[in-house]
Amino acid sequence: MRKKELKLVVTFHTTADAMAMEKFCKEQETPGRIIPVPREISAGCGLAWCAPLEDREKIAAVMKETGIEEEAMHECMV
Amino acid sequence: MNLSDSKKKLALAGVVCGIVAALLAYFGNPANMAFCIACFIRDTAGALGMHQAEAVQYARPEIIGLVLGSFLISVATKEYRSTAGSSPMIRFVLGMIIMIGALVFLGCPLRMVIRMSAGDLNAWVALIGFILGIATGVFALKKGFSLGRAYITNKESGAVISVIVLGILILALFTTLLKSSETGPGSMHAPVILALIGGLVFGAFAQKSRMCFAGSIRDIILMKNFDLFCVIAGLFVVMLVFNVATGRFVLAFDTPGIIAHSEHLWNILGMYTVGFAAVLAGGCPLRQLILAGQGSSDAAMTVVGMFVGAALCHNLGLAASGTALDAKTQEVVAGAVPLNGKVACIICIILLFVIAFTNKRESKA
Repeated sequence: MRKKELKLVVTFHTTADAMAMEKFCKEQETPGRIIPVPREISAGCGLAWCAPLEDREKIAAVMKETGIEEEAMHECMV
Repeated sequence: MNLSDSKKKLALAGVVCGIVAALLAYFGNPANMAFCIACFIRDTAGALGMHQAEAVQYARPEIIGLVLGSFLISVATKEYRSTAGSSPMIRFVLGMIIMIGALVFLGCPLRMVIRMSAGDLNAWVALIGFILGIATGVFALKKGFSLGRAYITNKESGAVISVIVLGILILALFTTLLKSSETGPGSMHAPVILALIGGLVFGAFAQKSRMCFAGSIRDIILMKNFDLFCVIAGLFVVMLVFNVATGRFVLAFDTPGIIAHSEHLWNILGMYTVGFAAVLAGGCPLRQLILAGQGSSDAAMTVVGMFVGAALCHNLGLAASGTALDAKTQEVVAGAVPLNGKVACIICIILLFVIAFTNKRESKA
């Protein structure tokens, strides 16, 4: 089983925003992957973007450029 | 207790819900129905007089318990969030569509799994449609489908649906105003207190584990994530053991007495409709009740849509009939989907495509 590590987890207002994030990140070769929102963050069942902590600025830059608004940015074990 | 930090604990939540369903089936709920959201909403709509199908009228305490269980646990754990504003009328229509699809198949995804665990091959056929429907929904998500974001509202707004179901409970317990079937599936039920406690427990565990039949397959298709599937697997295993142990496991198609039919195409299309609509609405019928309980007025609109859809199904003759034994001749009479139901199902699928590919995320880029 994969070991859990502290990661950056970005949540969004809609599932579509998370899907768009995945598309832009793939296009721009920005690190990370799409995951179900961790249960400790939310009782909802949406999607989130999970990336290494050190890529926080890169992620923020992609979001600013593409106009995707985050709901929140968390650091949690994923 | 954190139920979601490992697959084992998630499966345990499914096991608890499975035990609740098995107990309710043992203590009187209709055979093979045990705990069906679509059937029980339909029965409750009947109890309120929204339709006049005399065999399916009963205010099911399970539905009330699910909403209140989710409400209470989310308040207790500070997860209650009153939200609204994500295309409510489209969600209402999706609720209606979910119910029409479910009553063409004769059951929600939860009952499909329960029927599968009892060896009903019709439910295994319907699973094909359910998976295809979810895959179509996932395709729409990838193409940018969105109903827009929800916003925080006054906390009272999110509690309205819980107050309404509490009102139905009070009417059911202390008055004779509500209709109650004397024969048929509506007359078969576990004792009220047991059903209510069962609903509360199921609701609380479903809220904690985020149990969702559509979501589990969506996550597998989209991310190869099996977390939610573990919950369903836990429930399936318990029901399988229960059915085998009590001699209720019958591997067959045309089985009288379990409220199912063997029109394969319509079993597939019925559950295709449910799967597709559930992905667009963000959850299966069970999940909509849970989300509504924890404060989502958008999910509550879907629930209201399901009530109206259930009423329409019986008022307009859309619901399928189950294979049954003729009491006089002792011959098996095959269940079927009426023409109206077939037409309605096709219209629903067309509507789903329109909704899925016209509601797009607003791009600021």
